[in-house]
Amino acid sequence: MAEQGRDAIFLDKPYIDPNPLPSSVPHVDELGVTSAPLKSASFFIGDYCKEVNEDFMLCKSETRDPAHCLAEGRKVTRCAADLIGKVRASCLKEFDAHWQCLENNNQYFRACRKEERPLNECVFTNFKLRKTIPGTPAGKEQIHEKKSPIFTTQQK
Amino acid sequence: MSNMAPHGFKQDMPPPGGYAAIRFQRNLPTRGFSGVVVFGTVLTVCGLGFYRLGQGNNEKRELKREVAWSRIHLVPLLLAERDRDEYRRSEAALAREKEIMKDVHGWEAGKSVYSTKRYTPSNVVVL
Repeated sequence: MAEQGRDAIFLDKPYIDPNPLPSSVPHVDELGVTSAPLKSASFFIGDYCKEVNEDFMLCKSETRDPAHCLAEGRKVTRCAADLIGKVRASCLKEFDAHWQCLENNNQYFRACRKEERPLNECVFTNFKLRKTIPGTPAGKEQIHEKKSPIFTTQQK
Repeated sequence: MSNMAPHGFKQDMPPPGGYAAIRFQRNLPTRGFSGVVVFGTVLTVCGLGFYRLGQGNNEKRELKREVAWSRIHLVPLLLAERDRDEYRRSEAALAREKEIMKDVHGWEAGKSVYSTKRYTPSNVVVL
């Protein structure tokens, strides 16, 4: 597994274990969202689920045992699913446009500013969630708000 | 003769009003821009280019940090999902081990090969 520096991928046999989670562990629906929508919503997830995410990561820093933080992990997944559902309910058009742009542009944020701005605006008006990138130099506008960036789909 | 020197020869002198100036200067037409203009233009273009390069480098750094933070925000989510999967598999493996080794006296199912309280993930994957 990853602990040995490689993923559990075997060419001759798929790594499938059909056994379900023990019934002692409450059920939570897995997110089932692919990478582009996740990347599109990542900053909103980070904003909306800050508390539970930090709680989970603090728990993980105590021990790496996967059994240790299952409760916190469920909260994290429920929170993210909640947010994705909310965004899809209110900003479906903008969200779809943005993640499909990411999908078609090698998942470069810089290629999809045109689609990103309406999404950010919609999410902000509906849920007061703002995309902020930590560590932006003081007094500088954030890179996703830059009016005429040098790098878009091509270098200008 | 009146201009004869007293000692009997004639002193060679420049013509009256002096010789005409010798034309040693090249008379080529001036072509192109002056050196100041050329150097100035080159320096300006280079300066603007380096400035733009600096701006681009700053922007690249920002773009990288944007991607990094986007990933950081997703880490708990992905880790939680993976933990559940790993827990499910390890529990199933433990149950299998218990079932297989139930007749072996003194066998402790799920015992780590390491003598430590720290979590040590299994190094063996049973397919």
